Amino acid sequence: MSELLERLKQAVMAGEEEEAASLVREALEGGLEPREIMDKALMPAMEEIGERFSRNEAFIPELIVAASAMEKGMEELKPVLSGEDKGRGLVILGTVYGDIHSIGKNLVRMCLEGAGFEVLDIGEDVRTERFVEAYREHRPDILGLSALLSSTMQRMPEVIQAVRAEDPSAVIMVGGAPVTQEFADRIGASGYAPNAFEAAVKAKELVAGKSR
Amino acid sequence: MVGKERMLTALQRREPDRVPVWEMAFNEESIIKLGAFFTDDLPPMKLVQKMTVEEKIKLLNTLFTVVRELELDGITSITLLGTEPLDEEHVKDGWGRILRISEEGEATAVGGPLSGPSDLRSIEPYHPQQTDFLMLLAAKGALGDDYAQVLVQPGPFRESWSLLGSMEKLLYYYVKAPGFVKDLARLVTDYILEVVDMAVDLGADIIALDGDLAFSQTTLMSPAQYEEYVFPFHCEITEHVHRRGKLIVKHSDGNMWPIMEGIVEAGFDGFHPVQPQCMDIGEVKARYGDRLCILGNIDCMHLLPFGSEEEVEEKVKETIRVAAPGGGYILSSSNSIHPGCRPENYLAMVKAARKYGNYPISVED
Ligand code: B12
Repeated sequence: MSELLERLKQAVMAGEEEEAASLVREALEGGLEPREIMDKALMPAMEEIGERFSRNEAFIPELIVAASAMEKGMEELKPVLSGEDKGRGLVILGTVYGDIHSIGKNLVRMCLEGAGFEVLDIGEDVRTERFVEAYREHRPDILGLSALLSSTMQRMPEVIQAVRAEDPSAVIMVGGAPVTQEFADRIGASGYAPNAFEAAVKAKELVAGKSR
Repeated sequence: MVGKERMLTALQRREPDRVPVWEMAFNEESIIKLGAFFTDDLPPMKLVQKMTVEEKIKLLNTLFTVVRELELDGITSITLLGTEPLDEEHVKDGWGRILRISEEGEATAVGGPLSGPSDLRSIEPYHPQQTDFLMLLAAKGALGDDYAQVLVQPGPFRESWSLLGSMEKLLYYYVKAPGFVKDLARLVTDYILEVVDMAVDLGADIIALDGDLAFSQTTLMSPAQYEEYVFPFHCEITEHVHRRGKLIVKHSDGNMWPIMEGIVEAGFDGFHPVQPQCMDIGEVKARYGDRLCILGNIDCMHLLPFGSEEEVEEKVKETIRVAAPGGGYILSSSNSIHPGCRPENYLAMVKAARKYGNYPISVED
């Protein structure tokens, strides 16, 4: 069975969608638990490719196809995952108002999903009120804000304030090219990450801290 | 020397009389705010897609006034593919691409006429029309032959992804459907060559090939993928431009180091904008200064939006000291004069270029 899981992991890393889906089916038929398939094959695959991406050993296209293969595998798993299994938690992601850069945020989404989070992507050029509404409606474990312009990143503190007025304990992560750890600290964000892989690592840390 | 001569001399890596100053783009808000230093006859503050024809003409005239008053050495035109509004935030262009417009900067494609390999055959290629070049024609008419006329045209990578409405989709097919990626690059390159021909016929001196290939960390595709999917088309485009007796510059933000060799080998005359957060201009000059003209590098992320005029002057001085000796440097921001940049800082940037940019360069350490 571990050989099957290893093949599944390799298939995801290579972005082989059909192969990933059929190996998930095979694993289920062989009696493996859905959780085990996720924990031992799908997530490690995304983690490894993400880590290689963050070291510049893999490039964006490889990350994208791996995420797609993972998704195909997940489609097979979803119907049999138990109802209580909410994964690691819910993340709402969006690019702040005035900013239409989408690619970084989308890669963050892929890596968060790859790490077992459920992600609600509310798009680009998102008004502060919209973040608040989405937060109120879904009460996510984490809110993620992306900004690629030094001007639009100035809107992050506004979003943080508005959301914290709704929920003072809201966990909010920020990122994007001009954003730094120092800036994140200054505006009172709960976390920052320089790339999509690190974003998933940080998110895991944040939810672990929260449940403690 | 006049501006055009200065730009062309620098692009051929020789020393003009002074460092040329040029921008690849000014957004509407920047044009209007800079224009206000020189004239009261300004268009209302809105996006060009929302302007009436009369307001658009006024916007162009304001830009020409800025170029003239600041004695910039060249002017950049874009093609205007007769966009039609869809709703408050979206317009559709001649290819059938849906663009999201924004007050903070240029529009981006969020939907395309193409969904993937299955419908490439059915796509109706758009062919450039003279009316797409109204900006170039107006610039030529207003400023005459003394200014370098630069036309910006997205390169094969950006044209390809925007037809799919998303860069991630194209990058997915980089792995999944190499044949499709090449066919698509072929289709858009044919269009780009038509644009080049028409632009040259209408008076363009320089082509700036837009379309970022990198981000802060590294290139958007692997060097091997650049080599396979982009490089051959770049070669074709530069050859075509050169055959027409014109020069061509490649624009890309981000960390371009992994494919710089390819950019040089593809035959570009210049490289813009050497984003200072990602590449050191001194190193670019040392490694490629004998084969490429360098354009840009004055930071539009922090310095131009938030710095002081003194800091801008200091940076211009330093950049000229590093990049200008021997020629082959054109001063510009590290991307564009976007709405976040303080207009006063841009004025300070141009002024400093005049103060320190006279050849022979004698800026002290
Ligand atoms: C591609 C690009 C564009 C495309 C965007 C297409 C799209 N649909 O997204 C286009 C051409 C449309 C564009 C437009 C503009 N752009 Co632009 N663009 C870029 C470029 C080259 C790459 C951005 C990108 O896609 N990176 C790829 C992804 C994978 O990386 P990333 O976004 O950094 O994200 C990673 C991390 O930052 C992090 N991350 C990102 N978000 C989040 C969120 C969280 C919660 C976390 C934890 C982490 C995280 O993880 C990601 C994955 O590893 C950058 C250059 C650069 N160095 O970044 C300029 C850049 C961002 N653009 C710039 C500018 C100036 C503009 C314009 C203003 C130009 C103009 N004059 O019109 C417009 C603005 C439009 C608008 N209103 O937003 C400047 C910004 C300068 C500034 N003011 O700060 C940059 C930095 C270029 C430069 N030379 O300075 N741009």
